[in-house]
Amino acid sequence: MSLAEAPSSSPSSSSGSEDFAALLDAELELASGADSAFPGDPSSASPATDDEGEEEDSEEEVEVEVLEQNGAKRRRVEEQRQDQGMSISPDKFATGPSENVQVELCPHPGYFGGLCFRCGKPQDEEDVSGVAFGYIHKGLRLGTSEIDRLRGADLKNLLRERKLVLILDLDHTLINSTKLQDISSAENELGIRTAALKDDPDRSIFTLDSMQMLTKLRPFVRKFLKEASNMFEMYIYTMGDKAYAIEIAKLLDPTNVYFPSKVISNSDCTQRHQKGLDVILGAESVAVILDDTEYVWQKHKENLILMERYHYFASSCRQFGFGVRSLSESMQDERESDGALATVLNVLKRIHAIFFDTAAETDLSSQDVRQVIKTVRKEVLKGCKLVFSRVFPNNARPQEQMMWKMAEHLGAVCSTDVDSTVTHVVAVDLGTEKARWAVGNKKFLVHPRWIEAANFRWHRQPEEDFHVIPPKEKSRDKVNAGLDESEHLNGDLQVFRVREYVMRIENP
Amino acid sequence: MFFHIVLERNMQLHPRHFGPHLRDKLVSKLIKDVEGTCSGRHGFVVAITGVEDIGKGLIREGTGYVTFPVKYQCVVFRPFKGEILEAVVTMVNKMGFFAEAGPVQIFVSNHLIPDDMEFQSGDVPNYTTSDGSVKIQKESEVRLKIIGTRVDATEIFCIGTIKDDFLGVISDPGAAV
Repeated sequence: MSLAEAPSSSPSSSSGSEDFAALLDAELELASGADSAFPGDPSSASPATDDEGEEEDSEEEVEVEVLEQNGAKRRRVEEQRQDQGMSISPDKFATGPSENVQVELCPHPGYFGGLCFRCGKPQDEEDVSGVAFGYIHKGLRLGTSEIDRLRGADLKNLLRERKLVLILDLDHTLINSTKLQDISSAENELGIRTAALKDDPDRSIFTLDSMQMLTKLRPFVRKFLKEASNMFEMYIYTMGDKAYAIEIAKLLDPTNVYFPSKVISNSDCTQRHQKGLDVILGAESVAVILDDTEYVWQKHKENLILMERYHYFASSCRQFGFGVRSLSESMQDERESDGALATVLNVLKRIHAIFFDTAAETDLSSQDVRQVIKTVRKEVLKGCKLVFSRVFPNNARPQEQMMWKMAEHLGAVCSTDVDSTVTHVVAVDLGTEKARWAVGNKKFLVHPRWIEAANFRWHRQPEEDFHVIPPKEKSRDKVNAGLDESEHLNGDLQVFRVREYVMRIENP
Repeated sequence: MFFHIVLERNMQLHPRHFGPHLRDKLVSKLIKDVEGTCSGRHGFVVAITGVEDIGKGLIREGTGYVTFPVKYQCVVFRPFKGEILEAVVTMVNKMGFFAEAGPVQIFVSNHLIPDDMEFQSGDVPNYTTSDGSVKIQKESEVRLKIIGTRVDATEIFCIGTIKDDFLGVISDPGAAV
């Protein structure tokens, strides 16, 4: 019994181990079933952990002893190998009763703390396979076939409950956070920190003391989560660190009903600076993603609904290069009734309805939410035929331009030449030929912002709000005009988009 | 399985503690250092029950620290393969359920849950038999068999099964309601 030999290698704990080993022998002779299982056991404590144990036992070891130890360890490793070799049959026997004399090898569907959770064998240390699911439980790791199996089983359950999967980003989507040290003086004067200390159950601004941060929930977020939870199984997926994600999850979901073990943070990502659906136990065909950054979802753009960034704090505006007063500084906020979250909730409801209602005639499992998102998006500018005028650089192919693609995704038809079927001319300048043609032929003449606005609001915007500004009012006037117009016509939501756009014009 | 054993440890003590309370200091440091730790061989040290012997201290040159070999009795807990344990369920999900027996984390995957028990999601996720007579959910107490263990410096991981005779729920928090 290798345990009994162990003391020789560790002089410092000799007496204890001898007693222990003697006890074990006695115990093991009593337990007949355990006898066969035991030889494999010492191997489960890998040499590395053994080593640690020994070092702990003897804080002060002279060098000679270390050498001896090493020798002993090598010997022991060899013994273990033999043990393992011999233990193959008893191991099989030990798992036999449950698996009914299983001849083929265990496929090792996944691991918990380095042990296969089907047969209990330790994981092969060189060949670490599968994906870590640390956000569900520490030390849990699943193989790809097991993930597929779980997704398949899960899909059936979800569809039976008429639910889809929704993945939510935190920063700039559901919340906006700032470090306490980054709070601007204007924000301080307005007493933003005292607002966070108030004991009001409906407040939307919180201090995270442990992280020295201030967090503002996006207006409508509580209602959004409540309604979305009826249609979706929800995950939080953030690039922030785990402690932060958990704190925010507590704010959003104090009773832990929306996100039980569904909070994914940067430590769970399988690729650097990328988010992936591989760590989510939901099928890609039912996953909808809400995020403000398209870049991180390279592989899953079709699942993504891009959100307008929520900038509340001044530091957040600065970070994204807006040199204007933040919402916090001007004591404003997005409107609850038609802010970004309310808008997107309606879109989600629509996607959910189409997914489940049109599937009445077809098979639910063959539905793909990506197609549904596309269909819903295509309805936004349906029936519009656009011509762009001096929006793109001369040498670029218009079909490859972002704005052109966006318009097509929204269901508009884009064309390079004007004719009678054209409904809109998109221009930034009144002076172009096509712009003048539009005015002459009573066609809509709109700013490219109109397409962007439709893209974010999932609705065709009133064209009169997106006039092209006459050339004489250029520079400063243009900035002001653009801002004022959008502020009173489109609500607060548009402000930042417009600002961003204005910035782009000002500093090309 | 619990064991009451004698272990030995070399304790280093700062010279400022040399005085009338040296022994007390040594014992309290021992308790602080050892209780709650894991070692690969002995498992989890639950409690120190007594100090058998404190050997002669050896003064370290240069630092003035003194190293004492201390023999102490303690209760250790170490799970074994094939052992039957009772544990409290801490989390239930579609992969199986997690349970705790004191400091030991045990995972029972759905491969090792009887086939007639099915996962039910919802507010209280659980595994239930088709007739609804047996239910495993959070806070349930289960009797399970360990089929694999790993003990590292701070934690003990175990794989358990309830796919065997006389294993499964022993008390159901939902049943009382």
